[in-house]
Amino acid sequence: MKKHEKNRNVAIIGIGQTTLSSHKEDQNQVEMVAEAVRNVLADANMTLDDIDCIVHGNMELFEMQFQPDMWHALGCGSYGKEEYRITTGGTVGATLVCASDSLVASGQYDTVLCLGFEKLQEGNTTGGITNMADPLWFRNLQTGALTSTTATEMIKEFGKDRVLRAAMKYRIMMDKHAMLNERAHRRLGLEYDQLETLMETSPQLVGELRLIHMCSQSDGACAMILTHEDRVKKGTAKPPVWIRDHETSHRGENMSNLYGAQKPKSTHRDCAERLFKRNGITNPLEYFDVFEMYDPSAYWGLDWLREFLLLKDDAVLKLMEAGEFDLDGKLPVNPSGGVIASNPIGATAMLRPAEAALQIRGDAGGHQIKKEVRHALASGFGGTLWTVMLMLEKELNW
Amino acid sequence: MAEFFGTTVADIFNTMPKRFKPEASKGVDVVIGYDCGGEGGGKWKLTVKDQVAKVETVEGDLGPCTATIIASDAETFIGVTLQKIGAIDALSQGKMKVVGDTRMLMTLLPQIFVQYTVPEKKTEVTARGILSAIGERFRPDKAAGVTLKYGYDLTGEGGGQFTITIADGTCTLKEGLDSDLAVKMTMEAVTYVGMMTGTIDGAAAFTSGKVRIDGDMMAAAATGKYFDKYVDPNAEEAEELLSLKVVTSINQRFATGPVMGKWFAGLREKKFLASVCPLCKRTLILPQEICQFCHVRTKEYVELGPEGYVTNFDLVYFASPDPLSGEVRDTPYACAWIMLEGATPEEGFAFEIKREDLPKLKIGSRVRPVWAEKPSGSFRDILHFEIID
Repeated sequence: MKKHEKNRNVAIIGIGQTTLSSHKEDQNQVEMVAEAVRNVLADANMTLDDIDCIVHGNMELFEMQFQPDMWHALGCGSYGKEEYRITTGGTVGATLVCASDSLVASGQYDTVLCLGFEKLQEGNTTGGITNMADPLWFRNLQTGALTSTTATEMIKEFGKDRVLRAAMKYRIMMDKHAMLNERAHRRLGLEYDQLETLMETSPQLVGELRLIHMCSQSDGACAMILTHEDRVKKGTAKPPVWIRDHETSHRGENMSNLYGAQKPKSTHRDCAERLFKRNGITNPLEYFDVFEMYDPSAYWGLDWLREFLLLKDDAVLKLMEAGEFDLDGKLPVNPSGGVIASNPIGATAMLRPAEAALQIRGDAGGHQIKKEVRHALASGFGGTLWTVMLMLEKELNW
Repeated sequence: MAEFFGTTVADIFNTMPKRFKPEASKGVDVVIGYDCGGEGGGKWKLTVKDQVAKVETVEGDLGPCTATIIASDAETFIGVTLQKIGAIDALSQGKMKVVGDTRMLMTLLPQIFVQYTVPEKKTEVTARGILSAIGERFRPDKAAGVTLKYGYDLTGEGGGQFTITIADGTCTLKEGLDSDLAVKMTMEAVTYVGMMTGTIDGAAAFTSGKVRIDGDMMAAAATGKYFDKYVDPNAEEAEELLSLKVVTSINQRFATGPVMGKWFAGLREKKFLASVCPLCKRTLILPQEICQFCHVRTKEYVELGPEGYVTNFDLVYFASPDPLSGEVRDTPYACAWIMLEGATPEEGFAFEIKREDLPKLKIGSRVRPVWAEKPSGSFRDILHFEIID
């Protein structure tokens, strides 16, 4: 296994987000991107002169806009600077951070600003997803990201009532977290006593997947500034958050191979195993203080926790039922409200490490976890179950 | 109560506790009496002590006070409070007098109270008010040929039951719920008002269970288009925001290459051809040139199926477009994962299931392909898979 060693250590020293909503019609894309860039520069107490390189990305084709980096040059402040455009689908936000980490770690650039954005109201998400599929066959089967296959598998394993309850509890927990995050898009004010009603009344989309379980479509942008250890030592406006390591796991196959007679090992578990082994993490549930997970639906959220945390049997359901993923639980999951609450896709996977870093800084506002956060985990997801994971640390001591 | 300059004497006193600044009143211990004559007047007493302000109305004698303000009429009192009438003028004209320490009043009161301002007049928007004027917003041109009867069951304060009937280009409202409604929407009256005035997002209210829809969901979604948008009389005029609409239509063509070419050529013969990894022996379907695990070239082909069994399926209720035509599909439809005969365990195949067979579709169902009359090596060669009884 490759060692993934860095030439020099890298820290997140600036975090900027826009508000997230279904319709940001008071801004065009350039203005929205500029809002995130202004916020991240203010957060780091820097100016564009301090930035050597800009890494720009979103979900290709969701706005049907080619080379948005050209249109966005004024909003990014990229004139006179190096710039990369990266697009790896749903994972792009996380990939932007990984790439920026590598660009700084390599010594190629000292300070990098990465930026993920999406204005889903301006394009056609289904059109984009359809065109993303292998056009030689699978385009005829694509139906977007709506599926209940995971619910079906879990029900087969644990029984219908238990799974349906756990998934709805997960959904309500996410809404309770979102209610504490004033930037979140969907804040519905759900209560746990609505659990049974929602299980019956929320419209079915696909199989057991109901409207309430599914993530939103949002507009918004997120930006981060990364720099190297020596620059950090000179002093930063906000406490640095160190990027310890990251890992990406791909598959070369299509969706159809996911449900043969024998299920392949999930990219999430594969990615987690490699990342944890390399870093000597034997029990992620004990080690991490917070997990910001890319959770597009309540069923996926529940199932993927099991994969990412390498849990066995029904351990994930037991933890969920006991409230251990709550803000005061053993491992708080998505204090921000997660993807179910806010999903500007090109920014979504960057919001995960951004929110995790805010928790480490103690800077998350209303949704700050009460106990100290030293070790944070973040994940991104996209396409046919592709995965990116990042490990963030408060101290440079591993 | 008599109103001057858009407000009343009582309101000035009623808002005092809210306007009080406790942190600025440290060490202050005063009692101030107010005596306002004429219509709309009255007597009040303000006590400030231990950083707490107490305001009370007084009948009869004000009792001992540090200072007393006496105004001849409500207009003077309100005018002076709002600084519409100069205090010096009122004092010199004798319309106002101060008994006791006047200086303290001029310096202390502005320090411990936020200046009183006239509250904005708001028209009260009620569910009943919005509904009773629904006829004025009706758009006969949009509702031509539409016959629809729907009801609102609005609960809580200001609620009620209403039936709206659209027929023959007219719209009528009556109280109560008819029994032959196409759809009934149940929610709290405040939710309805919020949705109409734009402070509550309709989709979010529906998603979170604040709005219950009984009956035809599509009819409920359509109701909005027969009416002009409700304009909140209290809303501030917003800047006009424009969006530009663009429709893009692009022709595409993709080379299949020899391996996928073999797949499509196989379909012409009604055969499913998989490529086989020479090392791990996986039967790759659709055929791939390289085994992703072994990183070796596949050379052999094997025919799978055509029959198989279902391992998992998505029964779709959400009307989504057919990716090949762009047209919205009828619901429900199902995409199933199928193990074709002869496939290695990890290699599933996915396709749509015949609509008529959906009621009997379950995991483990045995299925077979139904072919187009003349397969031509295209996406459309398989119509669907059907269940074998």
